[in-house]
Amino acid sequence: MWISILGLLLGISLGLLTDIQIPPEYASYLSIAVLASLDTLFGGIRAHLQQVYDDKVFVSGFFFNIVLAAGLAFLGVHLGVDLYLAAIFAFGVRLFQNIAVIRRILLARWAEKKKLGEAN
Amino acid sequence: MKKRITGRFTVILFVIGFMSATQYNTVNTDNTRDSRDTWEIRQQLSREKQLHSELLSEISLLDDTLGKYSDKATKEPEAILKETVEDLRIGAGLTQITGPGIELEISPSLEAIALGTEITEIPPDLLIRLVNEINRFDGIELAIAGERVINTTAIRDINGYTTVNTEPISTPPFTIGITAESMEEARKLSSYLTASAIHDDFYIDDLTIAISEPQEDLALPAFDEEISMEYLEAGEGE
Repeated sequence: MWISILGLLLGISLGLLTDIQIPPEYASYLSIAVLASLDTLFGGIRAHLQQVYDDKVFVSGFFFNIVLAAGLAFLGVHLGVDLYLAAIFAFGVRLFQNIAVIRRILLARWAEKKKLGEAN
Repeated sequence: MKKRITGRFTVILFVIGFMSATQYNTVNTDNTRDSRDTWEIRQQLSREKQLHSELLSEISLLDDTLGKYSDKATKEPEAILKETVEDLRIGAGLTQITGPGIELEISPSLEAIALGTEITEIPPDLLIRLVNEINRFDGIELAIAGERVINTTAIRDINGYTTVNTEPISTPPFTIGITAESMEEARKLSSYLTASAIHDDFYIDDLTIAISEPQEDLALPAFDEEISMEYLEAGEGE
């Protein structure tokens, strides 16, 4: 777990230090991609906690979600419909659901552990 | 298995971090455009270059003084100190100076005299404008109606009187003495002021400026009051 957080910090510091910038008109795509990847990440954590984690699903979901979200946003720009809102909505709702499930699982585990401790 | 999952999560988190940082960089960049044209940039460059050369000459002057201080051969550090103090006094305007310069005489315009308009004092704003116009030249010293203008001089209205160094100046006519570094500079200043648009500003207030021929020896009085150094503090030594 700590190695994963180290990876996150490494990514952030690399991004800040290299000072890479994308053209402002593409900033919305990137923000949607970040949202999609966060959704996949929490989905993966949830699946892992529910013991249904599948490597292929996780990795393919990560890239596919990013591409789909960016593609939807791209299509929206060309059709004059704010389709990226659909992506934000979908990912946002799922993000909250996933986090809620993770919270419940962790709470249940904690309660179980406490019970076990009292029984002993 | 567990190791592989951690590896996957690490990679994904790395990508997320990188993307977030890039997004942060993009959003937080100030995209103000530099809309100056070549000419304006050239002017800026020339201003900076001038500043550069001024700083360099100041540094070399200070280096000279430093060299004199540290020169072991000098038996009299006291004399050098006195010299420095004298230089500083001259720079601050505490001594009387004599040099090539010009005199401006501010007097009521002929029309004002002919029409019998009441001669009022020169407004401080106008006087400040004139001083700023003169100060475009480097290395000049000036005295307004016998009041030496130094760095801390205030030209302002006190109880309805236009004052310089808190001394009220008389109603026109009065003279402004300006000394320059050389006769040539004085001539340049004279022709610059002759052609300056400041005459129009003075004419609106029924005043005219008469510019004298450059003189070899123009004397300016010393600043004779205490210099107020309320906000100055001694710096820490090296």
